Formats: sequence, structure tokens, C-alpha cells
Amino acid sequence: MSSIPIAVQDLSFQYRTRPEPAIVDVSFELRPGELLLIAGSSGCGKTTLARCINGLIPRSYRGERNGRVLLYGKDVAEMKIPEMAQVVGTLLQDPERQIVASNVFNEVAFGPENLGLPREQILQRVDQAMNRLNIAYLKERETFNLSGGEKQKVALAGLLAMNPSILLLDEPLASLDPASAYEALGVFRSLADEGKTILLIEHRVEDALEAKPDRMLYMEDGKVKYLDQIRDLPVEIDHTQVKLPAPWVVQRVKALSHEKSSILRRADAEKGELLVVFEEVDFQYSEDTPLVLKNVNLSIHRGDLIAVLGPNGAGKSTLVKHAIGLLKPTRGRVLIEGEDTRKMSIAQIACVVGYVFQSPTHMLYAPTVREELEFGPRNLEFKPEVMHASVAESLRSVNLIGLEDYPPLGLSFGQQKRTTIAAVLAMRSKIMIMDEPTAGQDFANYTRFMDALCKPSNGTHSLLTARFASTIFITHDLDLAVTYSNRVLLFGDRHVVADGKPEQVLKDTEQLLRYRVRPTSLLYMNLELLPATGRFLPAEVLAEYIR
Amino acid sequence: MLVTWKYRPRNTIVQRMDPRTRLIFMVCIIFALTIPEIWDYRIILPLFLISLTLYLLARIEWKDVRRVWLYISILVFFIVGLNGLLSGRGGPSSVTNIPSPVLFEVPIKIPYTEIGWDVPITVSKTWFALNQMTRMLCMAILAIPIPYTMDPNIYGTAFKRMGASDNVSFTMDLAFRFLPTFARDFSITLDAQRARGYEIDKLRGGLFARIRRLAPLIIPVVMQSTVTGEEVIDAMDLRAFGTAPRTWLKDLKYAPRDYVLLGLGVLIFIACCVLKWVFGIGGYFVPEFFTKFLVG
Repeated sequence: MSSIPIAVQDLSFQYRTRPEPAIVDVSFELRPGELLLIAGSSGCGKTTLARCINGLIPRSYRGERNGRVLLYGKDVAEMKIPEMAQVVGTLLQDPERQIVASNVFNEVAFGPENLGLPREQILQRVDQAMNRLNIAYLKERETFNLSGGEKQKVALAGLLAMNPSILLLDEPLASLDPASAYEALGVFRSLADEGKTILLIEHRVEDALEAKPDRMLYMEDGKVKYLDQIRDLPVEIDHTQVKLPAPWVVQRVKALSHEKSSILRRADAEKGELLVVFEEVDFQYSEDTPLVLKNVNLSIHRGDLIAVLGPNGAGKSTLVKHAIGLLKPTRGRVLIEGEDTRKMSIAQIACVVGYVFQSPTHMLYAPTVREELEFGPRNLEFKPEVMHASVAESLRSVNLIGLEDYPPLGLSFGQQKRTTIAAVLAMRSKIMIMDEPTAGQDFANYTRFMDALCKPSNGTHSLLTARFASTIFITHDLDLAVTYSNRVLLFGDRHVVADGKPEQVLKDTEQLLRYRVRPTSLLYMNLELLPATGRFLPAEVLAEYIR
Repeated sequence: MLVTWKYRPRNTIVQRMDPRTRLIFMVCIIFALTIPEIWDYRIILPLFLISLTLYLLARIEWKDVRRVWLYISILVFFIVGLNGLLSGRGGPSSVTNIPSPVLFEVPIKIPYTEIGWDVPITVSKTWFALNQMTRMLCMAILAIPIPYTMDPNIYGTAFKRMGASDNVSFTMDLAFRFLPTFARDFSITLDAQRARGYEIDKLRGGLFARIRRLAPLIIPVVMQSTVTGEEVIDAMDLRAFGTAPRTWLKDLKYAPRDYVLLGLGVLIFIACCVLKWVFGIGGYFVPEFFTKFLVG
């Protein structure tokens, strides 16, 4: 048996249903204890590479495969699933997709039980895995009641209990709040230090650097464009495809002067008419559960583009559901244009407030995009000519022209997300609320998506400012707040902790850390340059202020 | 990810019982009523009282099961009860065959046509409807407490220890948790569509138009369930489920109280079979006191 954990040799793969290969001539080797960061935008081939390594290709996905993947000298194609599962542990993007059992102990024991190991050995492995990740205290908890970070650790413990020597981590930070992501990266590093070979697939390179990867493999169009140590990162790595630290972006923009055109300037908030008011709002889901909102006071004005930040489970979604009337306060009141939500039907509120849910699959149902967009206006009893005009305008606004007759559920995730936005646009609501608008999208896609919404297209107005009096979005991504918002709400401990311009709220980095929001290099750079810039700006624009 | 029912540990005799005992007892009662086709109130009523006692011993709070009882009541009283009362079908043929005094007649008409007839409500059909509802309730009140009082972590183990295969046991485990997951997805979808002005209580048009208007709820929930199912399969594959005989860590042990209930369940089943098939007791008849009560 070879001592090399992974050897990928001239690997190419083309899915049976695709006209072009997903990966072409990929070759690399990893030594024991090495942590390799695999980065690239959606469609670059990194997921296909991962499937070739964990054996899903050729077992579950059919196509033409050339070259070899050797695990300790043995070809993956010749290994059986139980053997594979003990060599490679795969952590999926969303821990919710990975967890099978209803309590933590059963979840961690699930893999070893499937291998038919003796009882004592299973108990020993479960204890070891849980102690290794310091989650022994979760042993008796229900899995669906865990926080995002806890779920991630439990899913990882489930893999460690199978004792694999290679860990394949497929965008493991996607559903974590920044502080949980930081903790997870520390765990990945320490596992590598203990001898596990780790492949970390992540498009947020800046965040992944916390795991101190030994090397980075950067892919574009199915090919390896860069494979070497991170400190020697060349300018060829495109900062619009993966999220790089702000200083690197500045360095790259300065080296490639033509990119300066890609700038975005936020509109400042001008306090306009009062649209939504929260007055001393308390809320609890039932009498025997604790308060989720406590004494929340908040006013939303015309012109606000609000980013809501805060840890998982803080009550951010509960807060915004009050603004659409899906939830009614236990105490206090919420006023929409002066009227109490208790006296309004949700359909009445929907004329004023549009709400885009996090997952498009919870919302899309129609046979065509056009019918999907007509659903809201029909419910609100728009006249046919107004509805058709509104739908046509919405399709144009989010660039869905040409896809009107496609089934929304057959579109790509990014297109589905745009369809949900268009569906709300077509209702001509005054206020747009988006719950985690970038969830499930990679950096390149969500940056394009947010640019399309927030970037001024006709000199002064963006799509959002032209079509909505106010926009609110919940996010874990601090850089979205820095780049796109003109007002930040920091929500934690069941109430609004801080509320104001991004430059005011985000300068208190200690307070951010207390509420599990980790400052990024873009925020630090902005804070440093604030005396010169006077406002927060994207890294590309900051390059102008750095000599 | 699948969620679980609103289970919480309670210090009750019902929850201290082995889950297999409760499942087997429930099956015994269902079989005792259905296989020998028991329609005699003198047997149904005691069985109902035994089931009710077990339900009350489970000490489930009313607020937890309020909604379930609403659905069960609609099913039992409006569907089973009314069907029995109007048609007399779903039971032995003697319900409609035996001559029975007519209490009153219900005029029934097919909408938008002139076709119609009067349905006689007889003493026999009324007694049958009551019997049928009691039988259904007898079975339902044994099943209702299970999700609230049985630890979701031992669903699969309970079936495995009753002799089911690994695949069947885990399928049952997942199936038990599917309904609350479906309910959660339904609630999220309902919120998402209501936020687009959809009002479920304002469904207009005929039957098919109304069903079509439910599509915005049904399609996303079915899609979500399919996606969840595929995710669970992938997650199980990646952890080698089904590739070797499985070790089930949890052990279950019968206590003396389990043997008592199991014995009672088996005894009831055998007794019902013997009474019906050997002694001819347990068939459908209308007791005199009921006829007298209704028609004097």
C-alpha cells in the first residue's frame, strides 16, 4: 500500500448529459496531514473533482472518466463503499443534509453501526469523536434543535467516528454564522495537524485562510489554473470569482488597471416617509416558550437599504416576519404605513411589503416563469393590463428575458433566486425584505446578483432604489453590509443592539464579535481609510485611496 | 433534515413500557376488532374503555393533541359516522338487510341536476354509525399517544427488535419522522405564499378549480419532500448504510408490566376470534333498549 493518501492522475470527466467535460487533466498529490484548499467559482469543476475522490463518480454519476484517483495507491473505481467510507469522510455543504438520526448520539454512531462494528468499538469511537470536537455535552440532544455550528460539529463527529484518514469538506462554511465558521476552521486545522489529509472546497478564500491551508488549488473551466502555496498567490486568480482578502483585491486591481471600472457607490440614506414602525414589540411562539423578541423599537423609512446582522437563532427572521404580518406581536404593535398589522390581512400587507424567502423551493410552483410572476398580482387582484406590464417589467429588471416559458423549478439556483425576486417585484410592493439573499450561491454568483440589485444602472438609481421605497436583507456576510447597505441593524439578545449607518455601527468591532459577527479585512481596511473616504466602499474602489 | 414529533419524556407507566409492547398491543386490538369482524357493543365497549384507560395513563397535555383530536373528530364523526348513518355501508350487510324502523328521511340531490332521492335513516343504521365510530375511536386513541410518548430514537430499534430487517426498520424510523417534517415544510410554504397575497380561505370555483388553486401549496411541499428524501439517501450512502449487516446499539428489555399488557392483548385477540367463530357471538345486532329508546 502506498503512503500517499491521494494521487489524482490526469483526471478528466464528462457527464453523460453534458456536451463538454467538467474537469480536464487534473493532477496532484497530497501527503498525510496536508490541508489543500480547492477554490473556484460555480461550474469550475471542484464539485466534480470531489465526487471523483469520494467515489460518487463513477458509482452515482455516469459519464466518461479518464485518468485515475488513487487512495493509498488503490484506484477509487475498484474500491467498495464500506472500504471507501473508512478512507474518505465527506462533509456536505449543509449539515442539515447530512444528519440522518434524531439525536446526537445516534447520529455519531450511525456510520460505525452501518459498518457492523462490535458494540464496544462503536461506543469507544463515538466517545472519541465527540471528545475530540468537545461536543460530549450534546450527546443526548435532539439534532433538529441544535444551532448551525453545533450541527456542523455533530456531522463532522459522525465522519470522524468512521475513522477516515482523508476528509473531504465541501463548502462547510456555507450555513454557519461567521463565528461558528471561524471555530470550524480551527477544528479543520487541528485535524490536519493530527495527520488527517484534508481537502477543503471553499469559494470564500478569505475565510478559508483561517484554517492555514498548506496549498491552494484554483480551478477555472474544469482546469487547474494554480496549485501552490498561498503566499505566492499570483494576480491571475480572479477576485470576482472567489472571495479574496481585501488587500489582495486592492493589489490585483492596482496590477490590472482596467478593472477599476467595476465600481459601486452606495446611495446614502435620506430619511424619507415612515413606512414601518415597531413599538415595544415582544413576541413568543407559545406561552411556555421564552421570548424571541423583547421590547423591539424600530422605524423603517423611505430610502433605507438595511442589512440585518446577528448570530443564528437571534430572532432576525422572526423580526422581519412581523413586518409582513406572518407573525403578530405578543405585546406592543407593528404599524405598516400607520396601520396596525393586527387589523390587516396578510394580502393587504403584501401590497406594501414583499418578502423573499430564503429557499426558492418553498415558493416556486408554477409551470412557467411568467405564471409564477403572475401569481402575486392575481392574488392582489391587479387589472390584467397592469399585471402584464408589471410582469414584463420585472422579467426585464432581473434579466429573465428568454426564460419566461421555462419551468422555474428547472432553472439553476441563481435563476430561481432571481425568479423569486421578480415575483415580488411584480407585486409592486413598496418594501422588499430578503432573507439571506445570497444563501446557497457561490461568491461570483451572489456578487453578480447583489450588483444587479444594488448597483446604480442609470447613474443614480439601482434596481432596488428605483423599484422599492425601502429594502431590508438579513445576512451573515458582513461584506454585503459594508458594500451594499446604507443602514445596519445588529440584532442579538432578542432586541436591536445597534442601529445606524454602516460606518457607525460596524466601527465597534468588539461589539460585533460579542454578537458572533467577525470583522473582515474589507471592514478593517474601510475603517482605516474612513478619514479619507468618508464612507464604506468596496475593495476595488478603495484601491484608488491606497498608494 | 427530518424533524421529530413533539415528544417529551414523562414519568408515566405508559412511557416506561417497552415500545414493542405498545405497538404489539395496538395491533392485537385492531386485529381483534377487524379480523373476526366484531360489531357487538358488549365487546366493543370494554375494549374502548381499556384503550381509553391507556390513553389517560399516558397523561398527554390537551394543548399538545388539540389539533390531532380535531382531525380525528372530523374523520370519525363526519366521514365515518355520517357515512354509516346515511349509507349503512362499511360493515356487515345485515345493517341494511334487517327490517328496521325508519326514523326520518334525508333528501339528497345531485347538484345542478334534477336527480335526487330520499335516504331513509333507520334505527339499524343509527346504531351501526355509533358502533363504527366507537370502533374507530378505540383504535385511534391507542395510536394518537405514540408520537408524543415514544422516544423517536427507538423507532427503528423497536422494529428491528421485533424481527424486521435493517432496511425495513430504518424505513419505519424515517417514515415516523416524515409527517412532522412534511408539516414543517407545509407551514413554511404557506407563509411564503401568503406573503404573495395567497389566501387559502378564499378558494373559489368548482371542485377542480379549488384543487388547482391548492397547487401553490402542494407543489413546493412535494418538491421539498422529494429533495429531503434524496438528501437522506445520499447521506446514508456516504456512511455505508446497507452495505453490511448493521449493529443496532440500543437494546430493549421487556419488564413484567410489558408481559402483562402483551398477554392481555393476545388474550383479547384470541377471545374475540373464539367468541365469533366458535360461539357465534360478536356479530351485528341492534339491542332492544336502543330501538325502544328511539321509537318508544
